[in-house]
Amino acid sequence: MDSALNATFEVLSFAAIVVLVVLGLGIIAGMMGIFNLAHGEFVLLGAYSTYLVYSLGLPVWLGMVAAPFAVAAVGLVLERLVIRRFYAVPVVAMLGTYALGLIIREGVRSLIGGRYLSVPEPIGGSLTVGGAQLSCWRLAIVIITTAVMLASYLLLTRTSFGLRVRAALENPSLARVSGISTNAIYAATFTFGAALGGLAGALIVPVFSLFADLGIRFLILGFLAIMVGGIGTFQGSVAGAGAVGVLSAALPWALPPVLADVMIFVLAIVFVKFQPRGLIAGRRL
Amino acid sequence: MHEEMKDKRTSLMAGRRRFLQGAAWMSGAVATGLGSWIIGPKWANSAAAAIKVGIATDLTGPIAYVGNATANVANMVAKDINGAGGILGRPIQLFIVDTASTESVAVANVRRLIQRDMVDVVLGGITSSMRNAIKDVIVTRGKTLYIYPEQYEGKECTPYLFCTGPTPAQQCDQIIPWLIKNGGKRFALPSANYVWPRVLNKYARELIEKNGGEVIFEEYYPLDQVEYSATVNNIMTNHVEVVFNTIIAPGVGPFFKRLHQAGFGKRRGRLACVYYDENALNLNAPNEIEGLASCLDYYRAVTAQDAGSARIQTEYDKQFPGKILFSGAATGMYRGLKLWEVAVKEAGNLDREYVAAALDHAEISEGPGGSAEMVPGRRHCRMNMYTAVVKNGDFEIVARSTGLVDPREC
Repeated sequence: MDSALNATFEVLSFAAIVVLVVLGLGIIAGMMGIFNLAHGEFVLLGAYSTYLVYSLGLPVWLGMVAAPFAVAAVGLVLERLVIRRFYAVPVVAMLGTYALGLIIREGVRSLIGGRYLSVPEPIGGSLTVGGAQLSCWRLAIVIITTAVMLASYLLLTRTSFGLRVRAALENPSLARVSGISTNAIYAATFTFGAALGGLAGALIVPVFSLFADLGIRFLILGFLAIMVGGIGTFQGSVAGAGAVGVLSAALPWALPPVLADVMIFVLAIVFVKFQPRGLIAGRRL
Repeated sequence: MHEEMKDKRTSLMAGRRRFLQGAAWMSGAVATGLGSWIIGPKWANSAAAAIKVGIATDLTGPIAYVGNATANVANMVAKDINGAGGILGRPIQLFIVDTASTESVAVANVRRLIQRDMVDVVLGGITSSMRNAIKDVIVTRGKTLYIYPEQYEGKECTPYLFCTGPTPAQQCDQIIPWLIKNGGKRFALPSANYVWPRVLNKYARELIEKNGGEVIFEEYYPLDQVEYSATVNNIMTNHVEVVFNTIIAPGVGPFFKRLHQAGFGKRRGRLACVYYDENALNLNAPNEIEGLASCLDYYRAVTAQDAGSARIQTEYDKQFPGKILFSGAATGMYRGLKLWEVAVKEAGNLDREYVAAALDHAEISEGPGGSAEMVPGRRHCRMNMYTAVVKNGDFEIVARSTGLVDPREC
């Protein structure tokens, strides 16, 4: 019983982490059609900013608050300088963002001297619930992820900004004719996606510690999630992230871990074979 | 309009010319090798032709912190040797190349060491896959002596290839009985899925069972796995007393943290990880790895017991202050260079046959962790081994081998 509770919590908390990482990626991919291969590095930058603030002797939570803004600023600069030139050519955009990611990753690697650094949780310790030990920080991540997910959803569906974002995606020419600056909207969307990546990095760095390749594994899981969830919808990427997160955390409980790692991909491919448009197909926001 | 177009064309052409210049410069840099440099002796006597020592190590990539430490040690020892008049009246000159944690890059760079620079010996390679990739280039086709300076899984018995780091026997013979006495009999062996953990575990398992312990589970994980909830749960529910870990970074930090949060430390479980040195202490908060036991040929704490180690450590810190620490991962480089120096002096020349024959029984009285000697015919090194436990974020020596420990290889 304790063990079942424990297992459920662990699986849930890892799924929350994957959802958190995929949110920004999903918004950029879904809203703009850009597969941002530098998203893992936005996550890394968020983690690095948090570490930087912590290493200056300031509280960790301050770093976590600052990280999304810092990464948003980086995202905005990159969008203005580089990404906006690629909107018409998505394949080049993939290569371009890959290159940006590589530069950021190797830059951070040299900044931290290629080492692995631990960052403490702002809320340490664990709760004992009926014999099971639940890590407080993981619980906090679950709660924050839920809040961020809801807020993003409301922002995109219930505000006039969200309406303009959707308009710019649905029909860019008509949006421009109607007086919406698609240019500004794209910049804002990309910045928002980057900020979410930064937040994800800031929140997960106490769990996984800081190292230059932190983003890569999550990037692959992220793309898998978007593939499973369906491209072009916000709900799709969240649902996909939930599914992939639960699978990748739950399978090692049942199978040898090396096999579990492969099985996630096998299952995803089989799923996409039978449901090529993803979990939530076609229904845009 | 016409003028404007012409302007545009000339600027385009200038751009192309600049591009070509850039390309030429780049290819030149690639051909001569960025990321490699030559450090020559700076003393008056250097008129005598220098002895060329090739150092091939991971200066960039995920394990660059180990590679840079070994390169630093090589520089320090070379300076030391040249300061004392060189070897056979000749200075030594280091040729350092980057193996970049990538075997294909490494093979090309090492080939250059052999064919262009014609070095007399090569030291380096950090991972076993790196050693396997470059050993043929050096030993078989290059007909050059190769010294591999890292702790590894053993079983490397190639002629002309000498190993100066600890082997599984040297690490396990010391620590397993200690763990059973100071931890318990129920072992778990969570491991990264590659050759070193698999071979080490085989040796460790035999020893655990011989000493009356039992292995509850032995499990292998993908190298980049960072989520270990299932494993931690397995350890907690099966009442494992000793976690003999061979998971490596990036997974090891998160794994120890989860284990700590699950209460493994609180119920007095014992963590053990035989590759843990001072560099690894960064991976976790001190309280998460309190009591972790490790077994290596050197820890900073050894300097309190051994004057030679203290001298080396002080010298290193003076020459290389900063984040690249001198630790158990770089001791083999010191030992390797010093043993090779002794061998060349005995051989009286640099012929591979003669140097290898002398190196086969070379001894040094001072080094990191104390004296060391090659085991004749085995091409591995006997050395002192220390068992250390993490206390408040630093290692404390709890046991020391009685005399030099045999590598039991080849």
